[in-house]
Amino acid sequence: MKQFSYVRVTSSDAAIAAVSKDKSATFLAGGTNLVDLMKSGVTGPERLVDINRLPLTKIEATKTGLHIGALAKNTTVAEHPLVIKHFPLLSLALKAGASPQLRNMATVGGNMMQRTRCHYFYDTAMPCNKRNPGSGCGAIGGFNRMHAIFGASDKCIAVHPSDMCVALTALDAVVTVRGPKGERTIPFGDFHRLPGDTPEVDNTLQRGELITAVDIPFNEVAGHAHYLKVRDRASYAFALVSVGAALSLKDNNISDVRLAMGGVAHKPWRLKEAEAFLKGKKATVDNFQEAARIVMGPAKSQGSNEFKLTLAPNTIVEALKLAAANGNI
Amino acid sequence: MGTDKKSEPLNRVDGRAKVTGKAKYFAEFEVPGLTYAVMVTSTITRGTIATIDTKNAERAPGVLAVYTHLNMPAIPGWADQPNSNAKLPSGGEKYRMLGSNKILFNGQPIALVVANTLERAQYAASLVTASYNKTEHQTDLLKNTQKAAMPGRFGDYTRGEQKEAYKTAPVTIAADYTIPVEVHNPMELAGILAIWEGEDQLKVYAKTQGVKATQRTLAGAFKIPEKNVQVHSEFVGGGFGMGLRTWPQEVAVAAAARQLKKPVKLVMTRQQMFSLVGHRPYTVQHISMGADKDGQLQGIYHEATAETASYDDFTEGTVAMTRFMYACPNVTTKYRIVPLDRGVPIWMRGPGEATGAFALESAIDEMAYKVNMDPLDFRVKNFAETDPEKNKPFSSNNLKEAYQLGSEKIGWNKRDRTPGSMKDGEWLVGYGMSTGVFGAHRGESTCRAQLNADGTLILQSATSDIGPGTSTAMVQIAHEVTGLSINKIRFELGDASLPPSGSQGGSATVSSVGSAVFDTCTALKALLAEAGLAFEEGTVKPVTGKTATMQQVLATQNKTFFEVTKSSKGGAEQDKYSMYSFSIHFAEVRVHPHTGVVRVKRVVTVADSGRIVSPKTAASQMIGGVTGGIGMALTEEAVIDHRFGRFVNNNLGDYHVPVSADVPHIETIFIDKPDPYSNPMGSKGMGEIALIGFSAAVANAVYHATGKRIRELPITPDKILSA
Amino acid sequence: MDDQLRNEEQNGTSRRSFLKQTSLMTALALAPETVLKAAESGLDEKIAAAIETMPLNVVINGVKQSVRIEPRVTLLDLLRERLQLTGTKKGCDHGQCGACTVHIDGERVNACLTLALTTEGREVTTIEGLAHGDELHPMQEAFLEHDGFQCGYCTPGQIMSAICCIREGHAGTPDEVREYMSGNICRCGAYSNIVDAIMDVKQGGKKI
Repeated sequence: MKQFSYVRVTSSDAAIAAVSKDKSATFLAGGTNLVDLMKSGVTGPERLVDINRLPLTKIEATKTGLHIGALAKNTTVAEHPLVIKHFPLLSLALKAGASPQLRNMATVGGNMMQRTRCHYFYDTAMPCNKRNPGSGCGAIGGFNRMHAIFGASDKCIAVHPSDMCVALTALDAVVTVRGPKGERTIPFGDFHRLPGDTPEVDNTLQRGELITAVDIPFNEVAGHAHYLKVRDRASYAFALVSVGAALSLKDNNISDVRLAMGGVAHKPWRLKEAEAFLKGKKATVDNFQEAARIVMGPAKSQGSNEFKLTLAPNTIVEALKLAAANGNI
Repeated sequence: MGTDKKSEPLNRVDGRAKVTGKAKYFAEFEVPGLTYAVMVTSTITRGTIATIDTKNAERAPGVLAVYTHLNMPAIPGWADQPNSNAKLPSGGEKYRMLGSNKILFNGQPIALVVANTLERAQYAASLVTASYNKTEHQTDLLKNTQKAAMPGRFGDYTRGEQKEAYKTAPVTIAADYTIPVEVHNPMELAGILAIWEGEDQLKVYAKTQGVKATQRTLAGAFKIPEKNVQVHSEFVGGGFGMGLRTWPQEVAVAAAARQLKKPVKLVMTRQQMFSLVGHRPYTVQHISMGADKDGQLQGIYHEATAETASYDDFTEGTVAMTRFMYACPNVTTKYRIVPLDRGVPIWMRGPGEATGAFALESAIDEMAYKVNMDPLDFRVKNFAETDPEKNKPFSSNNLKEAYQLGSEKIGWNKRDRTPGSMKDGEWLVGYGMSTGVFGAHRGESTCRAQLNADGTLILQSATSDIGPGTSTAMVQIAHEVTGLSINKIRFELGDASLPPSGSQGGSATVSSVGSAVFDTCTALKALLAEAGLAFEEGTVKPVTGKTATMQQVLATQNKTFFEVTKSSKGGAEQDKYSMYSFSIHFAEVRVHPHTGVVRVKRVVTVADSGRIVSPKTAASQMIGGVTGGIGMALTEEAVIDHRFGRFVNNNLGDYHVPVSADVPHIETIFIDKPDPYSNPMGSKGMGEIALIGFSAAVANAVYHATGKRIRELPITPDKILSA
Repeated sequence: MDDQLRNEEQNGTSRRSFLKQTSLMTALALAPETVLKAAESGLDEKIAAAIETMPLNVVINGVKQSVRIEPRVTLLDLLRERLQLTGTKKGCDHGQCGACTVHIDGERVNACLTLALTTEGREVTTIEGLAHGDELHPMQEAFLEHDGFQCGYCTPGQIMSAICCIREGHAGTPDEVREYMSGNICRCGAYSNIVDAIMDVKQGGKKI
């Protein structure tokens, strides 16, 4: 790791000022990804602005939903009674991610800022447009078993690694950010972006903007939720494909449904067409299969991830089946 | 010992040090003036270094030296050796770290940076840049099979009239099997700490499975007497085979330390451990098999082709098991190696036998189904009463009893044998079994015993403990020979200055070192008897009719302790009998038909490894081997992107070693009957058989669950879905 | 300035450029010229040590530690290389194995991804802080009894993690333990015994 300077801030304003003024500065929250990337030589900020002591850890109910401070730890969120009661999908997704130790360190905001785990991105000896724009994409034509089947470009086929974000996008969360120009909100689905021609840009944050909170509106789908993560080992591995499914069921009729997928795109992949299809229909395997079929239309294999074209729809169906069957958890 | 008497389960004698964090591994010794080495590695696979720029690194704070091929101090023992391996099938190259500008594999060290702190060394290493003249590289075995060569070891073997037997038999099968690169990945990072205590006096703290071997290698490299090289390695954080060599980077670090006149420590990165400390070689195998309609094997043809480096022949016993495991009149085995532009492999737990057993035991299962027999009955029917390869009796072979015990425990006969017939909710249920086998080796070993006036017994031998619990087993043997209380016996190892022993490998430590301990303790008893003393009630007492205590006897002899040193090795019995350890594995799996996920739900593993010297640590060996087997079967694969010749998952996040959630409760059963010929204890090795064959048990269980025969490891969800 | 140096300045790789850029320098109210002069006269090493390090006060195993370290030093390397608390292990250095698991304010974390400075004012517990003299912590005792290890290298991390597994309320069933211990890799494969050890401590009900 190269040398950098370190400053511990106690106010959001100071943090924002420190990072917006200095192009080579960056926020340090849980550090589980940033420190890893710095060790790997993928990123090398000159200045770390430690925001861990900022008072952004609150989790509280509001009139319309749940407010989660951006620095709330993943574990805290996953275990929080209000989260478990109102947004079990979020709790399940969080618990499916990383390890207990990492979840104790990682924050909500940091989890959103995670960069891809694509090996070509991590290995500085390999070409990667995300790390080094213009150097090419090593994963295209290479080992891309873990890679995207949706929304990829000819510049980048990496996937977003987060489980939490799959749940948050399904749950219509809203991100609050503060920057030099003040505060604004971003619908969760618009926070991350597809690679297009600029895969080096992961999200729609502006320089100096700090994620301060995530708000999740109350919904009717807390009764039947399941997060199904298919991976190469039983735990502590990134998803081949994951599906977050939450249903509101009355007499086996689907009155509301949320569906999102992880491990398939450069951003958490919301399945709105499947949701629209399922709404008002019976919770049957046939309907689940049809919903899965609908969303698989634009899916494209990159070679070694061909199996995801089968695994993804299968996982959607299984997640829906389990969510429907599980009842309240 | 050597009787049917069972040993007591004993807690590890060094367990306290391990659970308190006091056990010191090589990188943890506090040495004044310690400096830190970090390696820079090549980003190309084949070619030469055109330019290398170390200026920025040299100017970085705290940097003491940056070594490259341009300024690496000469290693005299290396310079002496012929500059070519031309006689080897792998070819004519020689790999010498920082010895020339030649690049033979990706990840090869091109510079060694030494600085006064770890962070400074790491940073300075990031400042070294190189340009290369790239040439075409070959890392893909499948595209280079034309280079396949028969190595010096493991020549072709034929028994009977193999050629036609499997083709003309009434029932035949033929298939190919693939094992990916697997990497040992002990939890402790590899490296060395080297200190020169004089111009020709070297002391190292090493991560090695053989302190004597490391001593020899370093003495040879620096052309100094072996006794001038101290090697300390009391605690080793796992090895699984990677510590069976003293790797070039370890020698290079010692050379740097010598020139700098400072202690230098290298702790490699996990990434570097994929390229520089060996791996289980990528191996493709073909098995053809013929049987009659009643399930009597008529012929087996087994061919294995494995990678090696362009600069070294690596060979292992991949096809060894096929030669003798079953009573089959016609058997042919062939073994070939293909030199590639990769770092050289090294034996990995179970070594080649684990690779071979996956293929053979999968094929046996397939043939059993084809002749409509239970795979267990099929194995019993083709059981070899004597070793058909060597035409010798087995020293002991309790496989039939093992089949029986294991199958009862798992409920083998209660299953419905039809593939795809059993379900647990959505999940398909499958049962599979396999056999494992490994030579019960015994090497020469020496032990020194020192019986102190206070009644404590110190035993010493230059062996290692990479985890199985060597000291615990040795203390147990000494206790059983002498009757001395466990807490009065201490076993010392991991120091090359102790009486010589072989490396810890090939499941031979208890047999080799244990025999030396046994013989030494027996000799000590005789020595005491001469002095009118005997071990009694856990301590040393005068024999009947004598009154002088040990303290008094020692005083009259003007000694402070009794001392015996004995060497021990096998005799004629080693040639008379065919000696093997056997294991039987039973696995019950769940396979999800839609996601392709496979989970091992239950395991019963039976070891026929002679008398069990240390039941508690032996059971841990078995569950450890099974865990490794689960990894081999389901999760482990190091992938090379052949366009670059570079690993693309060389870290513990992407190379999936099993985690706790992958591993169910594992039932271990020991036959625990002494082998009459193996050694004085009647024990046989355990470390390898714990893993050998297990992957086939899982693959066979997957077949039983799904009707899908997966012949390429690991069995990941994609393979189930696309089969 | 020659081309070489100018290049380095642009790439930010030279000592001089670093010293110029570092904002700590201004914090220490040193004029950049003074520092650069010092660098040229070979004093940069000492000055670097002064300005590139920061104070850290942290309580480790009940003992207050006051050290000066570079911001890039991780808690793991601080423990192992500077404080000789080598019980905490380095197995991957990237948060992928759990060998470095320690407690910070009672919670298990990976020390390899924790920059040491972020622990200012916190309480860190390592494996060395568990036993009371000769009396082992119940979890250490249970690992010993159940042979929950072989080589012992992952063991400190396993034990630190296991204690939290129970404290967090995640040791209800063996399967739950398996899931909540999956952040600690054991290559020797002692998992089965580790699960037994944890269940034993849980059922023993001793305060941990």
